[in-house]
Amino acid sequence: MDRRKKREKTTVTKPSTVDASSPPKISPSEAFIVTLSSVLGLGLAFYVANSGFSIDLVTDPSRTIFFIWLVELPIVILLYSRYRQNPRQCMYLRAVGRGLLAVPIGALLNCLGAIALGAPVTFQFLPKTVNWSLMMSLFTTVPASCVLGSSWAHWKRIFAQTQPNGSVEYLICLPAHGAVIGGWFGAWPMPLDWERPWQEWPICVSYGAIGGYLVGLVASCVFVLACARSQHVKQT
Amino acid sequence: MKEREIEGAARRRKITGKWGYTWHLWVTLLLHIAAIVLFTRGFLLTRTELPYYSNSSDVSESQCLYSSSHNNTTTSSWTKPAVNRLIIIVLDALRFDFVAPSTFFPESKHWMDKLKVLKEVVSKSPTSAKIFKAIADPPTTSLQRLKGLTTGGLPTFVDVGNSFGAPAIVEDNFLNQLVQSGKKVVMMGDDTWTQLFPHHFERSYPYPSFNVKDLDTVDNGCIEHLFPSLYEDDWDVLISHFLGVDHAGHIFGVDSTQMTEKLEQYNSILEKVIEVLEKESGPGRLHENTLLVVMGDHGQTLNGDHGGGGAEEVETAIFAMSVKKPPSSVPVEYDTSSCQLDLDGKNVCVSSMQQLDFAVTMSALLGIPFPYGSIGQVNPELYALGAGSWNLDVSQQLSESDIWIQNYANILCINSWQVKRYIDAYSASSAVGFSSDDLSRVASVYAQAENHWLHSTKKLRLDKRDIDALVPALKKQIESYFNFLRTVAELARSKWTEFDLRMMGAGIAIMSISLIFQVLAILRANSQDGATLASSGYAWFFSASAFAFFLLGMRAVSFLSNSFILEEGKVANFLLSTSGIVALRKSVVKGKLLKESVGFLLLSTFCRFGIEIGLSKQASTSAFMKEYTSWILNIASGLAVWNHAAEVVPILVLIILAFWLYKATSDIFFGWPRKIVVVCTILSYMLIIVHWITENNRYILAFMPESIGRIYIPRIVYAILLGQLLLLVFAQLFRGNSSDCKTNLVVKTTAMLSAWSSTVILLSGKQGPMVAFASIVGGYCIMRLCDIEDDAKNGPQRRLSIGPFPVMQWNLFATCLFFCSGHWCAFDGLHYGAAFIGFEEFMLVPQAIILTLDTYGFSIILPVFGLPFLVAMKYKADLGKHVLFTQLSQMYTTYGLITAIMTTFTIYCVTMHRRHLMVWGLFAPKFVFDVFGLLLTDVLICLASLYYFDQGKDAHNHN
Repeated sequence: MDRRKKREKTTVTKPSTVDASSPPKISPSEAFIVTLSSVLGLGLAFYVANSGFSIDLVTDPSRTIFFIWLVELPIVILLYSRYRQNPRQCMYLRAVGRGLLAVPIGALLNCLGAIALGAPVTFQFLPKTVNWSLMMSLFTTVPASCVLGSSWAHWKRIFAQTQPNGSVEYLICLPAHGAVIGGWFGAWPMPLDWERPWQEWPICVSYGAIGGYLVGLVASCVFVLACARSQHVKQT
Repeated sequence: MKEREIEGAARRRKITGKWGYTWHLWVTLLLHIAAIVLFTRGFLLTRTELPYYSNSSDVSESQCLYSSSHNNTTTSSWTKPAVNRLIIIVLDALRFDFVAPSTFFPESKHWMDKLKVLKEVVSKSPTSAKIFKAIADPPTTSLQRLKGLTTGGLPTFVDVGNSFGAPAIVEDNFLNQLVQSGKKVVMMGDDTWTQLFPHHFERSYPYPSFNVKDLDTVDNGCIEHLFPSLYEDDWDVLISHFLGVDHAGHIFGVDSTQMTEKLEQYNSILEKVIEVLEKESGPGRLHENTLLVVMGDHGQTLNGDHGGGGAEEVETAIFAMSVKKPPSSVPVEYDTSSCQLDLDGKNVCVSSMQQLDFAVTMSALLGIPFPYGSIGQVNPELYALGAGSWNLDVSQQLSESDIWIQNYANILCINSWQVKRYIDAYSASSAVGFSSDDLSRVASVYAQAENHWLHSTKKLRLDKRDIDALVPALKKQIESYFNFLRTVAELARSKWTEFDLRMMGAGIAIMSISLIFQVLAILRANSQDGATLASSGYAWFFSASAFAFFLLGMRAVSFLSNSFILEEGKVANFLLSTSGIVALRKSVVKGKLLKESVGFLLLSTFCRFGIEIGLSKQASTSAFMKEYTSWILNIASGLAVWNHAAEVVPILVLIILAFWLYKATSDIFFGWPRKIVVVCTILSYMLIIVHWITENNRYILAFMPESIGRIYIPRIVYAILLGQLLLLVFAQLFRGNSSDCKTNLVVKTTAMLSAWSSTVILLSGKQGPMVAFASIVGGYCIMRLCDIEDDAKNGPQRRLSIGPFPVMQWNLFATCLFFCSGHWCAFDGLHYGAAFIGFEEFMLVPQAIILTLDTYGFSIILPVFGLPFLVAMKYKADLGKHVLFTQLSQMYTTYGLITAIMTTFTIYCVTMHRRHLMVWGLFAPKFVFDVFGLLLTDVLICLASLYYFDQGKDAHNHN
């Protein structure tokens, strides 16, 4: 479930200033907006694919996943870049830039992970695999990259140890883990001999990943709320 | 309290020496043996093949012959021959709905009504041609069905007496009786027939049946030889076995254009055959009295599968046509036919029969002795087709149907006598015979029928005046014989096709007890050891253990579905990669061993491709592995570069392995016996290289006789293995004077592994060195990764017991290697070719051992003997023998537990799916492989414990 740590290795430009600054904060309402827009983005992508091109994940997985990541890309990058660490030293555009940079790198790592786990590598699956990896990249690495930048310590803490610290990190960590774990479970029906079209790579894995991602988003909202409440209690 | 327990345990161990560490391994072995024997008795139905044969003179022992005007013909033959020649056309996997008119079925599908000619013949002359729905008995695989058809018995999944590798039928059978009676048999088509009956055919034209993708070779071969043979008179029985429909079903399914084309092709072939027969049917012509039988050996599902007991699989068809028109039809009492108008408005009748009855009915028609082990009954309708040749005895003043009944009663008498003789002989000679209740029931039914025969029917027959009383008496007689034969068939089906649930339940219960026992053994060792478990490692230890058991559980549960069993290799690899990813995560946290964890992940990725290639072979051709023991040779075999690489790379890798072994052993101190072992292994590697070179290059063969390379080198390698093992046992007598117990363990393990490796590599063929290489790398990675939690700062004194995680990885990796080396859990996944490395002739015991070594070499033998490395690498310093051996014994228990859990789930799964249509095709082979693997693992663990724990006693004596 954790191709991500490899990705950290690659994205590490310098294990630079391990900014010990306080973790960025996010209010429950903002977290709710992020979650809602991500969910709405997914819904929009499905709606566009379905009504505009009359395709869905089963009939044309490649293009549908393409729509998903195309719609999610601006939403995720633009929203998460607002909660970047050290907003004073780091410009908004820079955060957007590193978010964009993380898209292909994360896709590569996700793709390698999927291949290690048994994703087909034949040529006919290439577009599907590429689109799936880009989607997974948006679910997993891109938010982290926008917020955390290239801080190896933070990446390690969030992805290898699953110890998010602070509300924004919950919003990064839980959906990403949810997507990967959901994808892992989504792969299980694939060998069954039901001969349904959705058993093909990467359809059910995508369903699993999207489902896990949504669960992760909701859970992170809950955590953010809990966080805010406990801080509120502390302050008072 | 606890301390006292530990003390007590330590004292006990002091007394019992190494048995203190290993006694539970032996108990586990015994429990497993008991469980498996019980379960197998209930599940894997076995039947003993009897070595008896029917003789034409036997029949005089029965009371059936009556000394009247008929006796001049019947002294030397069982029945009067009714047909002279027999043509059997077998269409493999012929579904019943291919033959019967579509109006018999609720819905008309487009694969129906393709064999039009059969229906036309039947509707034109209903007395001389018939269509039967033939019910086959599971297992519905071609080999078992052909065996059942010819022996008239119920072949089970395991027929005791079946010879390994060569499936020739040794039981009495229809073809054997034909040959004994001097009939000549010609065969064309599926080469399974020549495997089953190597010496029975006058002429045969076998075509290889293993290439499922090839729809036409076998069929074209059949056609090529069938039509010329029809005009020849040098045969009495002609068998032509077409495979196209079976292959089309396997590849494209029933609902496909290929299938329709095949059926249309058969239709035209059959049209021509019938045309020829009719042309030659005149008096004195070739086919004056010929019977044509067109039949399927079994059916198939819409996907083309067969093997189980589903309705689609067991329902096949028999079409029979007598060239000589029989005068009468069967009396209505014995007519099972039901008639329907077909689409063209013609009346077509379809009867029904058991495939079990085929052998005996054909024997009766041809007038040869019935096969000894046949338990079928002479089918009245099929038998009636031969009625045309009976010379009607006008003097008897009987109607045709009365004569028919008289004849039939007589045949049934012989039939019943023969079946009774078989049942008696079987229960007398088989270890697992019928129960005495069943036997006495059968005997009483038979005695009743026999009484009736002796006291009323026979008298009435001799006394020709009372004709009116004769016919009802005969009918009653036939009814009582039917009753007897039905009873026997029921009994035989319950014995050979039904499971004994009580036995299976007992087996499952004992298996579950053994699991509990193993868990308790592990916990006990933990509690003795647990005091030293450091708290900081706790979290990782337990989360890793939980994760290991989660993966284990996923794998075990996956066995409950046939699809996951089919793709077991991929599932195992998926879990292995997952565990690799988790290990990588951990190593990122710890910031060390990154190289090993990435390497492990890469290795599992490579394994994945190996497994996929293996699986594609499994899907495409069933008998592929018999031809090529190593799949590596066959990837892209078109490329010249690849061919060269395939020859050179294994040799290079083997040289690297030899070099490694040399390097690894040169810097540790080895006692001289073990030094010799390692040197011998390197010598074996060199011999293997020579063996491969001589195999490929023909010009080298000019310098030395071929047999040296092919026969003697492998034998030398086997001999070296034996010598090495003896030497290792011998070396046990010398106490290694290296004081360090840990080094001693490493040395022993290395020596043991190197001894086995050469033979295993030789048997695996050219892929062997690569797999060996992979297993070394994988083993090394697992070994290193298992001390990921050990922080140097904690000092050498701190130790953690090795959790189940590395052991589970070890086990998963071994499973992956099994699939990687081109095996799978089915009997066609065995590399029969490997059994003949070093042997020209068939010898059961050595070749069975070699086949076991090939199949389980990489997946059980090497991993089990290599397990001590995990312990040895874990502890940097020598902590004393007690710690080391406690750990080792705990690890062996864990390994055994993991294997046992897998096997237990396989057992649950075959129990649940015992009525599944894939039970014989998929679940039973998986069961056999797993159970055999479990026993082998247990035995090897016990042997390894004898080998590795041997110094324990000494240690305590010193202390």
